[in-house]
Amino acid sequence: MNKEKRIGIFICHCGKNVAGGLNIESLVEISKHIQRVVYVAENRFSCSEDGQVAIQKAIQDQQLDRVIVAACDPSLHLLTFQRCGEKTGIEPQFVDLIDIRKWTMHGSPHKVSPEKALEKSTKLIELAVKRISLKRLIPLVEVKAEQGVLVIGGGVAGLEAGLDLADKGYDVHIVERLPTIGGKMALLYKVFPTNDCAPCILAPKTAYAHIHPRITLLTNSEVKSVEGYIGNFDVEVVQTPRYIDTDKCTGCGECIEKCPCRVVDNVYSAGMGERKAIYIPYDQAIPKKAVIDAQNCLYFKKGVCRLCEKECPTDAINFEQQSKTIDIKAGAIIVATGFDEYNPAPKSEYGYGRYGNVITQFQLARLLDIDGPTAGKLLRPSDGQEPKRVVMIQCVGSRDQKTNEYCSNICCMYALKHAQMIREMVLPDAEVYICYIDMRTTGKDFEAYYRRTRELGIHFIRGRPSEIVEKSNTKNLLLKVEDPEIGHLLEIEADLVVLSCATIPSAGSEQLAQILGVNRDEGGFFKEMHPKLRPVETNVRGIYICGAAQGPKDIPESIIQAKAAASFADGELRKVKIKLPEYIVKVSQLNQGG
Amino acid sequence: MEEVYVEEFMSPGCVGCPAVREMLEELSDEFGEKLIVEEVDITVDTARAAQYGIMSVPAVAVNGILKFMGVPGKEELKKAILEEL
Repeated sequence: MNKEKRIGIFICHCGKNVAGGLNIESLVEISKHIQRVVYVAENRFSCSEDGQVAIQKAIQDQQLDRVIVAACDPSLHLLTFQRCGEKTGIEPQFVDLIDIRKWTMHGSPHKVSPEKALEKSTKLIELAVKRISLKRLIPLVEVKAEQGVLVIGGGVAGLEAGLDLADKGYDVHIVERLPTIGGKMALLYKVFPTNDCAPCILAPKTAYAHIHPRITLLTNSEVKSVEGYIGNFDVEVVQTPRYIDTDKCTGCGECIEKCPCRVVDNVYSAGMGERKAIYIPYDQAIPKKAVIDAQNCLYFKKGVCRLCEKECPTDAINFEQQSKTIDIKAGAIIVATGFDEYNPAPKSEYGYGRYGNVITQFQLARLLDIDGPTAGKLLRPSDGQEPKRVVMIQCVGSRDQKTNEYCSNICCMYALKHAQMIREMVLPDAEVYICYIDMRTTGKDFEAYYRRTRELGIHFIRGRPSEIVEKSNTKNLLLKVEDPEIGHLLEIEADLVVLSCATIPSAGSEQLAQILGVNRDEGGFFKEMHPKLRPVETNVRGIYICGAAQGPKDIPESIIQAKAAASFADGELRKVKIKLPEYIVKVSQLNQGG
Repeated sequence: MEEVYVEEFMSPGCVGCPAVREMLEELSDEFGEKLIVEEVDITVDTARAAQYGIMSVPAVAVNGILKFMGVPGKEELKKAILEEL
């Protein structure tokens, strides 16, 4: 039987954020008449020291056993008020925070009229009163936390998080969908703002991850299912076959030389070069083991060939290899699945896919790489000639209501980097134009990098062409662009156009989010618990996010987030035993047929 | 008269959620005012879902206790409600 509860309601003004958008006095009066409510107070800032003291005093004076604070987003301050209540003997579960500020605060997308805000707030309080008065005390159970962590994604963020945790003593599994770790960074050649060689600064991490005694690298692998809860996640990973015995393969490459089947390499050369059906992604690949692309291998397609098998000096080829399911127990999970480059073909005005000499910045990065498909020579795709005039167009698929509204954060800087590389390293006489909306160079040392690019004689045009037309005889590209700074229309004939495309969530993010039960934001990136204060936690305790999986970001920011995610995982798992509501354990056991 | 408060965790596009919604509507007709059902969209109220440790929807909590993740049988759901009455 439920004993009659004594409920107190505390309505926060949040300065003017709430008080400016609804009539607090009316809400107080209405709340006083809700059944089971014995006390109602208002406070200018409930979260302040004074506000909390007032709540604690009311709990004692009024003998409250349930507390509702009507204020802001629970992800922000629920813990504050639960701790406040706990000090006066109220179980955290019996303190609730409801968000009425979303209807009143300037700038909130949910803001409504004061009348509507009062109506909605009243309903929310009534509902919260019923909910909290019927809520039962939930017994907590102590569960042992697995001292292992699953990291999904083997790019720079995933590696950083994995190495941090492995160095702290946790057993780490890094699951990577591709045949090699290193992610996008390994394919960039140079990185801003220092123009360091990307593989040179990444290799210490990939090499260390490869030999670390506490790290298991699972390449060619994907997470298929996750069950359980913090401390006890049961993960099923499926590893697709390489058709290579990796214990025997030495990475000598003899099989590759003999393979007769050439295909366009859409992954490691971004479609700008070819590879064989058996291949090693690149020289510094880790693991440096061959892999057979079964979709293009003549043996798998037509049952003929097997030349690689005949040539392999260590008998490493194994056409019988099957997919393997690997079960992993993990106490925490870190999602570091990175990003993909937006495919600009739907932006038909730029002719990507129709005009051979319109490429993307990632494709340009591969062309500029001395280990890339053209060994660092910048050659335009239509005729293999060096371009004399290169035009870059910013914000393709970003800051665009028809595609992605968000700013992709890194495109301005990589355009500057590529402009510098063209002028300083590849084609000193080439003209380079950057057509932009705004140049956003807000990171450390980025403004100096921008200035240096300008000093190299790169032309900056504050405007973007509305259309590109290809000349049928030369395959050159004609652009018309309005430059407000000089006040007239420019006509440019370019040899090569490079589109600075949006950063989008990596393929498979939606499916992975469903497997993990983690929310995604409007752009499709994994959603943090709070955009400012809890940027690496998710709606699922024990699952953390970092790097471009959470939103477009550069390498330093990805490293910072990776370290933060590792720190959170460590903070939970180092307790060894974690207290959880009993039902979480029970429901999870039921779901697993336990 | 005792009451039961059901939190029905859902999200837009969730395949199993409409089935739970329908069951709860039928049970609401049966139990009348004794059954209070609140629909909680986990993409909006992330903090509430996190409090319960919900990893997938649909999920159902009864009087503050998470009882089901996934679509329960109607009889199971009814039993969980009756236990609280």
